[in-house]
Amino acid sequence: MKSIFLKDMAYRRTRVVLTAIGITVLILLILFLGGIMNGMRIQATQYVESTGADIWISAEGSGGAFIGFSMLIEEYMAQLNVAPGLEPHSASPLVFAQARPIIRGKPSKAIVVGYQSGKLGGPAHAREGRMFAKSKFAGYSPEAEVDLEVVVDEKMGLEIGERIVIGGKELKVVGKVESLMFVLDTPLLFMNVRTAQNVLLGNYPRVNMMIAKSGKGVPPEKVAKQFEYSPLKIEVRTLQQTIDDIIDYYVVSPMRAVTFLRVMLWLAAGILVGMITYVTTLEKTQEIGVLKAIGASNMYVMQLILKQVVLISIVGVLCGLILSFIFAAVAPIFVSIHLLESIIVAVISFLVCCFSGYLAARKAVAVDPMLAFRGEI
Amino acid sequence: MGLVVEGKGLTKRFGEGEAGVLAVNSVDIAIREGELIMLMGDSGCGKTTLISLLGCILTPNEGELWIDGDQINHPDQDLSVVRREKIGFVFQLFHLLPYLTALENVMVAMDLAGEKNDQAENRAEELLTQVGLGDRLEHRPAQLSGGEKQRVSFARALANNPKIVFADEPTANLDSRQSENLMSLVRELRQEHRTTIAIVTHHEGLKKDADRIVQMKDGRIVSE
Repeated sequence: MKSIFLKDMAYRRTRVVLTAIGITVLILLILFLGGIMNGMRIQATQYVESTGADIWISAEGSGGAFIGFSMLIEEYMAQLNVAPGLEPHSASPLVFAQARPIIRGKPSKAIVVGYQSGKLGGPAHAREGRMFAKSKFAGYSPEAEVDLEVVVDEKMGLEIGERIVIGGKELKVVGKVESLMFVLDTPLLFMNVRTAQNVLLGNYPRVNMMIAKSGKGVPPEKVAKQFEYSPLKIEVRTLQQTIDDIIDYYVVSPMRAVTFLRVMLWLAAGILVGMITYVTTLEKTQEIGVLKAIGASNMYVMQLILKQVVLISIVGVLCGLILSFIFAAVAPIFVSIHLLESIIVAVISFLVCCFSGYLAARKAVAVDPMLAFRGEI
Repeated sequence: MGLVVEGKGLTKRFGEGEAGVLAVNSVDIAIREGELIMLMGDSGCGKTTLISLLGCILTPNEGELWIDGDQINHPDQDLSVVRREKIGFVFQLFHLLPYLTALENVMVAMDLAGEKNDQAENRAEELLTQVGLGDRLEHRPAQLSGGEKQRVSFARALANNPKIVFADEPTANLDSRQSENLMSLVRELRQEHRTTIAIVTHHEGLKKDADRIVQMKDGRIVSE
């Protein structure tokens, strides 16, 4: 009779179902939280990679282009455009700053990307409408008129010709570009570098970073290294270093608590299975005593408990896996669950559940068959 | 007739020091093949402890035990093998597994012994028919009367053709009619299987069926 453990589970189905649901929810949370972090990682890097730049320049002591307070003046441009190791005239100024635009009367969140149209830093073409008007970075004049034009993310739902307000200035939507959200689905608003300075930096003639391309055949690492001894007061990082900075600043550090929570959830899954198996074992001590009295070996009792733990864990883990992919697809934020990661999470969670179930099953093995002579089942 | 069970100087102590209880005190006992022996005595006299020792459920502090001619080596032997191959148990409170049918409760004993499923099912059906429950095979314990549960319990005890069946107060939870029916079943089973049976009981009315009555007091056998 191979299905005695199944019959026992069917008899205690409420507890079995609740345990499986508990594991499902925990796996779902573990994978979903991981998926949010993956989504943040992807969104944190996709803009940086899209710029085409492999050299990122920020002010000395800022800690990196996206990290600390960095302000650069236009004079650097001339020197960077002729710097050895860099592609001639590839250097481009960039304003990258969080903003609180008023869209259709409601405050929203966005990142303003100010760059020179046709240069590194943002899309070269609009999908709909047109790109913002060109303007010079050099030759700053505070009195010069600024075009208050913005190109928006196509997923923002804005129409061409619509107006949004940033820093008290009204900007006209002139084009839409392919969606390129930043961390936590923050849309990017592209505008001329002068416009960004005007609406965000009080028309102050500075940018918070400059980007460039390394020369043909010159490794970006070598370029970054050569600037270590430059008299320019700048920090130079490669694309990879910049990506690492962004991920650490925008994902790893703020999500450290979430990572800790994920480990806690794993422990919770193990404790849940262990506790329920333990309580169920305690409830069944009389039955186990009878089984042992009529000849069940310790191995038989151990297998009886472990088969149940394994089956419940498999069902819980599989349901958690399936639901996490479904939830990721319908989540209001970008969630990216990797198949390999989910398999690793599933295997580890399964092992944690089985181990805690094993600890509880040891209690069952230790049951005294004398219990068969006492009390009712 | 050969000896099925033989205990020499069996002693069982629970607890240590002054709080300790000497439940079985240097008992010598021999049970012959085919015999129906009844262990009687007041509550707490050590009857259940003695059959637990003889049934390899408890390990004696002192003494030696032979079952079916083999000496039991308590520290080193897997006693679960002895229990499933040579011994059948019937408990006062029946102790059928609530999630199994009558048929499955009998099959469990054979499952433990590694019997094939179809063979176990045939034998379980045969045994349950013998104990008068041929029409109750698919009933769960909750759907059976006390007397019926005890019959299933006897069928389970006999499943692996044990050398001896130990029954602990098998009629204690049955009314007089059910007790009489059960003892009539015991008589039939003895005739049919020539099973050796040791019954622990308070029930004076059962004495008439016994081949031998062992009277216990304070952990010792006082008369046979």
